[in-house]
Amino acid sequence: MIAEKERPLDHELTYDRGSLIVHATREHCPSPHFIWDARTGNWRAPAWRYPEVVRAMAETHGYRFKDCVLMETHFQWPSTQLHVLREDQRQALERWRAGDCRGLVVMPTGTGKTEVALTAMAECQTTTLIVSPIRDLMYQWQRRIQKALALDPGILGDGQREIRPVTVTTYDSAFIYMDQIGNRFGLVVFDEAHHLAGQNLRQAAELCAAPRRLGLTATLERPDGRHTVLLELVGPVVYRQEVSEARGRTLADYEIIRIPVRLTSREQQHYDAAAAIVRHFIAERRKENPRYTWQDACSDTARDPWARRALRAFRFKTLIEDRAEEKLRVLEDLFRLHAHDLMLVFAGSNAMALDISRRFLLPVLLHASRKEERHQLLEGFAAGKFRVLVANQVLDEGIDIPEVKAAVVVGGLASTRQAKQRLGRILRKTGDARAVLYEIACEETREKERSKQRRQNDAYSGTRRMRETTLRYRARN
Amino acid sequence: MLTKEHALFTFNRFETRPDCLTRIQHAHYRELASGLLRIYRNGNGFTRRELHRRADAVFADVPDCPPQRIRSFIKLLDDTSEFETDRKGQAAELRQKVFAWAASRHPLVRQPDRLFECGEKQAKDDIARRIGKSWHEIESSMYGDFPEFHRLRIFHGYPDADALLSRYNVAQAQALLFWAEQMIITARSDFKMLFRYAKLSGLLHEITMIGSGAYRIRLTGPVSVLKQTRRYGIHFAKFLPALLACRNWQMQAGLDFNGRRSFFRIGSASGLRSYYKPGEEFDSALEKKFANQFGVERNGWKLEREAEILVKGQKVFVPDFVFRHVDGTTVCFEIVGFWTPEYLAAKWKTLALFVNHPILVSVSKHLALGKEHAVPPAALIHGDVLQVKPVLERLEHFRH
Repeated sequence: MIAEKERPLDHELTYDRGSLIVHATREHCPSPHFIWDARTGNWRAPAWRYPEVVRAMAETHGYRFKDCVLMETHFQWPSTQLHVLREDQRQALERWRAGDCRGLVVMPTGTGKTEVALTAMAECQTTTLIVSPIRDLMYQWQRRIQKALALDPGILGDGQREIRPVTVTTYDSAFIYMDQIGNRFGLVVFDEAHHLAGQNLRQAAELCAAPRRLGLTATLERPDGRHTVLLELVGPVVYRQEVSEARGRTLADYEIIRIPVRLTSREQQHYDAAAAIVRHFIAERRKENPRYTWQDACSDTARDPWARRALRAFRFKTLIEDRAEEKLRVLEDLFRLHAHDLMLVFAGSNAMALDISRRFLLPVLLHASRKEERHQLLEGFAAGKFRVLVANQVLDEGIDIPEVKAAVVVGGLASTRQAKQRLGRILRKTGDARAVLYEIACEETREKERSKQRRQNDAYSGTRRMRETTLRYRARN
Repeated sequence: MLTKEHALFTFNRFETRPDCLTRIQHAHYRELASGLLRIYRNGNGFTRRELHRRADAVFADVPDCPPQRIRSFIKLLDDTSEFETDRKGQAAELRQKVFAWAASRHPLVRQPDRLFECGEKQAKDDIARRIGKSWHEIESSMYGDFPEFHRLRIFHGYPDADALLSRYNVAQAQALLFWAEQMIITARSDFKMLFRYAKLSGLLHEITMIGSGAYRIRLTGPVSVLKQTRRYGIHFAKFLPALLACRNWQMQAGLDFNGRRSFFRIGSASGLRSYYKPGEEFDSALEKKFANQFGVERNGWKLEREAEILVKGQKVFVPDFVFRHVDGTTVCFEIVGFWTPEYLAAKWKTLALFVNHPILVSVSKHLALGKEHAVPPAALIHGDVLQVKPVLERLEHFRH
């Protein structure tokens, strides 16, 4: 035994720009995960398989090596100030730990996934990277870590490149920089982990050697089935809670009210004119090719100014729906009705978001808004300084303002994912307050179809319809 | 540089071609490009949105113009423009003021009544009075820091319509490379420039000699060996202008469109013009003089410039010259002009990797003052002029 120990180790296992390498000769394959790299004259394996690779090398093959993959990962938190976890959160955490600290926790928005992650981080005592979809969420994580774990995390993204034992970043930055930082962390947390399924963004996980991985999401399944790569890259689903399960218990009870509006006669005129251009174009094309579709029209825009005009008319139609004047009138009534509540307004386009901001002089958050302003707006909103915040898609995911119990959707996609996420913004439980989501959609336009598609989601079942006149009556009496 | 969304190409399983505007088929684009340049040159003070609308209108009745092409031109014009981005945050400050003032009067209703006394019009008039500007002025500057409302400050632009069109063609070729997994180059000259830029782009190479003075260079990224990946597409795209500045090469890039594979082929004769400076024929006047003096052939030795690549793994050494004797002897020749003892030591370390190759080095004596000990005895020493005779004498030692 002693002699065995004294023998020098055969080789070093190291990290190289998103992969693991062993400097051994071609005859000595370290484990089946490796591929001989003739360019650099060594063996290479995918970084994300790091724990497997080490096990295989050590146990199966009795390969003697020195593991130099990770930089120092032990990390002692200065102090922690965590919330006590609820039973379901505790259970999620325990199952994740039982599964070798790899896996996905699927819980509805607003049920406190962040708390689960913060406790996991505190317990693991290891260097941690947190990956989130957008800058706002990155800063939100920064604030949560400062508060709960008494520590300033590094920031990678939004023009900053500061790597610390605990660092927060975005998927975009993680995609770009992971091959330079993939061996610095013992734990990686993927917030809104469904983003990882994208062709490029998944590299944020592939090039990373962190042995412990925690994925958080409310909406794991993707219609294209790509979410299965998450099970491999992050781990299996260790805990799952449905919205219907959480409604009224861990989540606020809620109702969804749809308010149909009509276009004004002027808008209707423009809308009809634009629709006629589109219809006429398609009809003409079908004379030559009966199976001519809108898709064909889109690809014809390259050669055909007429097709381009039709496409422009189509976009104009959408814009008319999105910016319908009537929506602003309904909004006024909703603002009257909720004059003392905090309210979020989700617009379908920047133009509409600005229309609303201009009309009611309300603060607006767009993608282009700068960091300081976002910060000020969100703080001011949470503190009740502003009662309404207008946004396009910026606030769709993950921004948490517990006091907000009312939201208005004035336009957007047909996707149930977006609908679920927007709904999630108002569902954080505070006492027994009931949340309400209004949806203002144009009748007799394509917008109605989009609204219908959204309602096919289980979270949207039981949507109530309210007439504009009813709303007006209630708002003014 | 363009992004993936701007890319325009015709896909074919065997060969995918990026959009390329030609002098004959697209003669009318010269006029369109001039129109675009005019809009931006006279565009100072206009917002990005206004400029984009005008640029868009230039193409309104052009029969052959895909939307990506229009957007690409606009991107290329924007890329060389400087916009007023309101760095001081005046717009944001104004907004904050307005919103804060309105917050206490929320909601601003159309018709004030007993419940809500603050009407929209009255509120806006009030604010305008307080700030001392008309409401119209306030509203038009309130969102001035959002990109679409940025105003053009300086347009650096392109010298003329041809330059813009040429840049467009290069930009489309670069954009197609975002789908590239690997690049295979057949090169016959300018090796130094090739490898310098390949290395700068963070790419790994595999080099095979495929004939006298001809090499096949395969460029990939570190994890490419594990999984075919488009991760390095942007590296290939950044490398392209350097490649275009070289001479005598062919390139084939392997593309992957989500499982559908294809190729992109291009060569030094393709007509794409780099916006990089072309590689100089000689690194220095001294080299040029020496080459001229030596002529094509002397005593059975032929002189070729940058004609050989020495490779050891990822280390590449391209000697300045190669001498080839009729009897088959080949000697590499490296000229060291400016040097420090550290530089020289590093050079010798590199050369030590290639002990199997005969290499002759000549070091400038001007920099040797007091540092002669740093010059290895095997090296020749030259003054202002590199004489042919001593070089020929040394060359003879290498013959069998």
